Amino acid sequence: MSQQVWKLVIVGEEILSKKIIKLIKAAGATGYTVNAAGGEGSRNVRSTGDPSVSHTLSNVKIEVLTGTRELADKITHDIATKFYADYSIITYIYQVEALRDHKF
Amino acid sequence: MSDFIELFIKQLQSPTLGFLIGGIVVASFGSQLAIPDSIYRFITFFLLMKIGLSAGIAIRNSNPTEIFLPALGAMLVGIAIVFIGQYTLGRLPGIKTTDALATGGLFGAVSGSTLAALLPQLDSANIPYEAWSAALYPFMDIPALVTAIVVASVYLTKKNGEASEKVEIWPIIKESLQSSAVTAMLLGVALGILTKPESVYESFFNPLFRGFLAILMIIMGMEAAQRMNELRKVAQWFAIYAFIAPIVHGFLAFGVGLIIHKITGFSIGGAVVLAVIAASSSDISGPPTLRAGIPSANPSAYIGASTAIGTPVAIAICIPLFIGIAEMMAR
Repeated sequence: MSQQVWKLVIVGEEILSKKIIKLIKAAGATGYTVNAAGGEGSRNVRSTGDPSVSHTLSNVKIEVLTGTRELADKITHDIATKFYADYSIITYIYQVEALRDHKF
Repeated sequence: MSDFIELFIKQLQSPTLGFLIGGIVVASFGSQLAIPDSIYRFITFFLLMKIGLSAGIAIRNSNPTEIFLPALGAMLVGIAIVFIGQYTLGRLPGIKTTDALATGGLFGAVSGSTLAALLPQLDSANIPYEAWSAALYPFMDIPALVTAIVVASVYLTKKNGEASEKVEIWPIIKESLQSSAVTAMLLGVALGILTKPESVYESFFNPLFRGFLAILMIIMGMEAAQRMNELRKVAQWFAIYAFIAPIVHGFLAFGVGLIIHKITGFSIGGAVVLAVIAASSSDISGPPTLRAGIPSANPSAYIGASTAIGTPVAIAICIPLFIGIAEMMAR
């Protein structure tokens, strides 16, 4: 019932979320999950849930499950070329077991 | 002159300003007081909807050609502010041109909360103004953002010496129009013109306006205190610019308003509205548009400058200043 898949996690600025999701879908991933996120990185302290007057300082964590490492790498590559230079964003990957039969 | 100081001090005692300072004080003392984001969003929607409705109702009952010159003036001021930013702030040592342009764009753009703070104070001071003058907001806001993004992109293309992507202006305008602040206000204007919303306006939007405005002022004050930390990390020039620029921009727009007053009989109160929207700097719709449009500019610089200093100066100094001048002129 279970299968090994890759879980790619992207933590970045909320204003990028639509664009990142577009990249994820264009690369061929079948789904994703989005959470609000907060924390601190090399660029600045990024706020958590305080009323932020503009959403420019809010963050999201996007998780994507992919069946192959190649697909995850392609998404990472697309994000890296487009956004790494100018935005607060980090990506990481690990292998997880998906507990549902599903074509990733 | 003593009359003017007296009027100025009276304006400083307005509830709007009291709530703003209250917000700054509690946040500076690290208070746990938090107003949920969703309430903040609802309040800004409510206030801009109310302003839009009253502007729409006014436009329905007036001659639509009257708005042409003031709208043109608003546009020119919005564009001029960006270039002022580029050639003053941008020339200072250690300031990146893109940061200066983004800051100029944000200060050229308009703050819904500052506009909301102004209108009841004009009413209290019994200064007549065209109710549609609030609808000048997008005419200044959008050209300022577009100019900042286009000039920054031209600058970056020249600097890098490569033919980079062409900037498309339409997506920037579309994004500004789609932002929550401008949408709420334009929807209100449309409803005010096309329908007869007087009953809901008088029973709901108008009576609650000042109360919600007071809460918004607390939020803006808290936000200003929090953004101060970010402003500390960038060059001090941003703080100095953020203090002086709203006053300079206000006088520039007030002058333009007076010229239009001479030509078309645009009211002095209307010129005050024009001055204060020029003095204000965007806090809702501008930052995300600029972040996406000029990605290499440092958001801590322009958001810190605008929210921590620009908005409090616009509300605390520029509103009483221009109302005081208008009262003097009416005497």
